Amino acid sequence: MSAIPGNKGGAAAPHVELRRVTKRYGVVTAINDLTLTVEKGSFTALLGPSGCGKSTLLRMIAGLERISAGQCFLDGVDVTDVAPAKRRIAMVFQSYALYPHMTTRQNIAFSLSLAGASRKEQDERTHEVARILQLEDYLDRRPAELSGGQRQRVAIGRALVRHPEVFLFDEPLSNLDAKLRVQMRLELAKLHATLHATMIYVTHDQTEAMTLADKIVVLDRGRVAQVGSPLELYNRPANKFVAAFIGSPSMNFLPVGLTAVEGGIATVALPGGRTARVRVGGAPAKAVATAELGVRPEHLSLVVADDANAALRGEVAIVEHLGNLTLLYVDTPAGQVIVEGPGNVSVRSGDTVGLSLREANARLFGADGASL
Amino acid sequence: MLKSKRAEYFAAAVLMAPFVVIYGVLFVYPTIKMVELSFTNAPLIGPGKWVGLDNYWRLATERLFPTAVWNTIYFVLLSALPSTLLALVVALGVNRLKGWAQSVALAAFFLPYILPVSVVYRIWDWMFDANFGIAQYAIAPLDGGQHLSVFRTIPLFMPMVAVVTIWWLLGFNVLLFVSGLRNISTEIYEAAELDGASRWAQFKRITWPLIWPVTVLVLTIQLILQFKIFDQVYLFTQGGYRVDSTMVMVQYIYREAFQLNKGGLAASASVVLFVLIAVMSVLQFQLLRARAQR
Repeated sequence: MSAIPGNKGGAAAPHVELRRVTKRYGVVTAINDLTLTVEKGSFTALLGPSGCGKSTLLRMIAGLERISAGQCFLDGVDVTDVAPAKRRIAMVFQSYALYPHMTTRQNIAFSLSLAGASRKEQDERTHEVARILQLEDYLDRRPAELSGGQRQRVAIGRALVRHPEVFLFDEPLSNLDAKLRVQMRLELAKLHATLHATMIYVTHDQTEAMTLADKIVVLDRGRVAQVGSPLELYNRPANKFVAAFIGSPSMNFLPVGLTAVEGGIATVALPGGRTARVRVGGAPAKAVATAELGVRPEHLSLVVADDANAALRGEVAIVEHLGNLTLLYVDTPAGQVIVEGPGNVSVRSGDTVGLSLREANARLFGADGASL
Repeated sequence: MLKSKRAEYFAAAVLMAPFVVIYGVLFVYPTIKMVELSFTNAPLIGPGKWVGLDNYWRLATERLFPTAVWNTIYFVLLSALPSTLLALVVALGVNRLKGWAQSVALAAFFLPYILPVSVVYRIWDWMFDANFGIAQYAIAPLDGGQHLSVFRTIPLFMPMVAVVTIWWLLGFNVLLFVSGLRNISTEIYEAAELDGASRWAQFKRITWPLIWPVTVLVLTIQLILQFKIFDQVYLFTQGGYRVDSTMVMVQYIYREAFQLNKGGLAASASVVLFVLIAVMSVLQFQLLRARAQR
């Protein structure tokens, strides 16, 4: 698995680098011997379920969390023991963490005022940031008088005004309603395109990660499960964890028997008697007798029950019409699978259907979860 | 189901009635009666003759009452502000502890608060006893090797009573401050740290303004409470022969009413104390609150 991208010659210089870092809280290990590089100007998402250590990782980069073992580099300089304020990093918190007793203007200018900037400079830079974020009309309001979206923008403004080299976002959109979230997502993408700053973004929402990031780091229990571009993760998940986590609805996993491997093609026996031929990388151990076949819902299609191409047969349990597409939950000998069909499917629950499988897009996973 | 407005008013009236009745009978009525009484020469029990402003004139012209007023104000100055600031300092320390250590520290500071004043008196009187008090080991070198009866030395009396009072009541103020500090999220401090705020800047620009409402509250509670100083002064002057010079207002009222049987005069002193507390605390509260809203 290519979880740890090497720093090959010619590649962009790493801006942020974590080298074999570990974070322990007493006996609990939150981050375990993790290595990660983030290129200058990239938008990197740290993605994983809650408790995977992604926020801890971000806080370690910010300097808010002590690193138990290992090192953190910024621009090639070891900052493991450097105070947060001296790292030229800005962070946007999930709760925004605005200063409740200060106005928008004071919130944004706080760091400048601490640094001893002149009134004139503070005013100029605050207005510049307010203009970018369309906060000019709200400069004299306190956080309590702002809407969620406006508070979010003030939090970003507070980061922006410092001209930091690295922006850290800790689930910045999770407190917004669905519509605003989509809007802010777009604004963040625009911001990144304008500033070309390095951004590291923590989220548990795969849509946010997929849409915003040019590199996604999937974390699983304190370890890197896979690093790659959004489409790499989607099309070639390195393991079952990534395969299951990326994509909605989730990938189907069917228990299969491995009958033969020849020339990079594995023949597997599906529950219900049919076989399928799936491409595998490298040469899986012959000893692997059982495996799991991962098939995304859109790579299964409905055919009539006695179709010769049907890899599986089953009874439709639930039909969900979403307008542009239809989700069908089908009970098969391999368990319940989710099928994504076109919007105008006329199948009803209780119908018996056949399912054909796009073999080229299916993935095979060994007993340990690794992609074969 | 929609209820009529009338039924709602009735329910509200019924629910409020017990409080209104008790408040009226036990506070409003006696207060009015007290003001009335202050214009008479009534003894402790029974009615008296109307004497107009005579009692107030007496309070102003005799020697003892102005002393009592001054002693009371002096004590408030010595106790209210220092105990508020000290409580904030202690709370900042306690707030930095974690888990059980915090509970232990909080309990330790709160423990004296649950003691009755008589026990507090015994503890301090015993510690500072001129003959065998353990504190004399520290006092004697400062007093040229001589033991010093702290509570019998007039210039030291009020400051010492203030120290004892602060020690006794500090825990409650600490508790108020700790709960106030807990309301400030740690993320705000982290944001400030990233913004480059030093520890002092974090206190000055984040903690102090955000804890200000609690500070005002604690100071107001202290002010009201300390104006009513009586027990400590009474106990520490027991058996003394110069009680007059350390007299405080409530003690004066007690003496006039219950020892000298002058109900009317005591009532007028009570009115003065009542007005003093009301004006001071309202003034203080409004002033400080206004500052916060600036």
